[in-house]
Order: sequence, then structure tokens, then C-alpha cells
Amino acid sequence: MTELTPNLWWLSIPFIVALFVLLRALNKKVQNGVLKSLTNPVFLSIAIIALLLVNLNLPYSQFSSHSQLLSWLLEPAIVALALPLYQQFIHVRKNLLLIVSTCSLGIVNATFVAFVLSVLFDVPNSLSASVAALSVTTPISLIVTDSLGGISSLAAALVIFIGLLGALFGFMLFKLAAIYNHEAQGVAMGTACHAIGTAAALSEHPKVGAFSSVAMALSALLTAIIVPLLYPFLVNTLL
Amino acid sequence: MKYLLSSAIILLCLTLAKLVMHFIGGSFPAPLLGMVILLTLLLSGIVKEHYVMPCASPILNIMPIFFIPAGVGFIEHIDLIKSNGPFLVSVVLLVPTSTLLLVSAVMAYFKGRDNND
Repeated sequence: MTELTPNLWWLSIPFIVALFVLLRALNKKVQNGVLKSLTNPVFLSIAIIALLLVNLNLPYSQFSSHSQLLSWLLEPAIVALALPLYQQFIHVRKNLLLIVSTCSLGIVNATFVAFVLSVLFDVPNSLSASVAALSVTTPISLIVTDSLGGISSLAAALVIFIGLLGALFGFMLFKLAAIYNHEAQGVAMGTACHAIGTAAALSEHPKVGAFSSVAMALSALLTAIIVPLLYPFLVNTLL
Repeated sequence: MKYLLSSAIILLCLTLAKLVMHFIGGSFPAPLLGMVILLTLLLSGIVKEHYVMPCASPILNIMPIFFIPAGVGFIEHIDLIKSNGPFLVSVVLLVPTSTLLLVSAVMAYFKGRDNND
């Protein structure tokens, strides 16, 4: 492992911030739906930094300890997620029961399918815990995966891939299944494909986008409640 | 002043959640409990939306920056990823496909398949 000389690690945080702000500004300018999903700024920032560290042979441990401040700020940011959750809640009070139940069903399905695949492929426990909470926004996935003993960074990457896939092919899937109802499409998109899917839903139709936002917010809360209980249950009963 | 109040509410919820988790033990993540506490306070009307808005809005706006360092951590596990390629590809394909179909089908069962605008 090489060391940066003179010590340039203090640049970690400014570099992350500058890179992300630049990529997000560029992404806002992209009009084409497919291209917009593919140039997701979080995805590109992680990919570019990973490529830099690997190719310049720089140790991740150094990068991680010098960007610790950002990881600490994730905790109050997760608490602040209560605000959009609250704002979404008031919009769907009359359909709340139906949407909460279908969202919960979707989350249970995502965790269950991932767990069955882990059993079929006979993967180590750290890996099966890493795929238990994937149908949810990245910060929640990170923290739930961590609490289950999984590799949170791997979960973060998979979450983004799942979102991209849903954004690119989700609406084709609805067409194949002959489901055109905006509420159905939106709730499915928000539950399965979080923010990246919601962005695609918003560009499809405002109503689909609205329901997707609601489902995304709900599934953040429901994943936090369901997965830490469901995953140990699956491990204990099926293994 | 409004920034002080807003950040104080968020940090108090986080601290309270950490204390609760410290005393009851278990692996439930404290920030998520903090989120639930704040949501309860908002829904019950004890905390008003505009109290938390001044700090919550900017912090949510730049939130992706906070998980980039953690996301890059996958490079520490490249060997594990390479040796489990088929598993990870099946997860990425099957988890969203099955969830999208199941959720949309259940919703369509109650609300109809067609667009009802």
C-alpha cells in the first residue's frame, strides 16, 4: 500500500462534496430518462472514488477514517427523514391501510426472495445478511444491514443497482403484466425501487410519482421495523 | 434561532433513541428509532413541521454525500463479490422483479388494473 505524500488525505471530504455536487448538477441537465438513471450521481461518485482508490493503490481505511465526519452526519440525517415521512403520511390517510399492507408485503417478499436465494446458493452468513434489506433507500439499508451483521457497503451498491434496474425496466414489466393503474404502479415502484425508481415514476406521470414517493417513505419506516425482526426469524426457522 | 431549535430537536431525538437502545440492549439501529420518535412527535402535533424544517431540509438535500464513503467500502470485499457473482446477479434481478409484480398486482386487485383518472 502506498501512502499519499505529502499527506493529502484531508482532501477526502472536499473531494467527495465537490464530485457529488458537480455530478448532481450534470445529472439535472440530462433530459433523456434512461441516461438520467444511468448517470445517477450517487452511483457515479461511488464508482469514481472506488476506481481512484483501487487504481492508485490507496488504502480504503485511510479514506474512511478521513471522511468519518460525513458518516457521523448520516445519523442525524436519518432522524430528519421523519419530516418527508410525515409530509407523505398526511396525503394518504384514506388509503393508508391498503398502502401500508401492500408495502409491508413487498418488503417481506424482498427479504424472503433474497433469503431463499442465499440458501440456494449456499452463501456465507455475512452475505445473506447483506441482501436482507435492499428494497429501501440507501441510508436505511446501510444501517439495517449493519445491525444484521452484513456488509453495509455491499448492500449500498446493490440497493443502487436495484433502483437503476427498476427505473430502466419497471414500466416495461407493468406493461407485460397489463397493470396500468397509476396507484398500483406508483406504490410498486416506491416499495421496490426507492428514490431512483421514484424519480423514474415522476417522469412517467405525476400521480405515479406521488404514490411512489408515499410508498418509498413508508417502506423506509416499515423496512426499519420489519427486517430486523424478519431476518433473524428466517435464519432461525429455515436454517 | 430557528436553526438552533431545529437541530436541537433532531439531536435530542437521536440522543433519546441512543439512550433507550443503550438501556434495553438489542441491535435495533438507534437513528431509526430516533426517526420514529420524531415522526411520532410530528404526528401528535407536539413538534410542528416548521420547527424541524430549517435544519432538516438542507440535511436531507445533501444526505447522499453522507453515505458515499460507506458505499465506497465495497472495494474491501471485492474477492467476496467476485466469488459470489451469480448469487449477487440473481438477487439484483429477482428481488426487484418479484417485488414490483407482487405489489402492483395486489394494488391492482383492489384498485383495478386500468388507469382510473
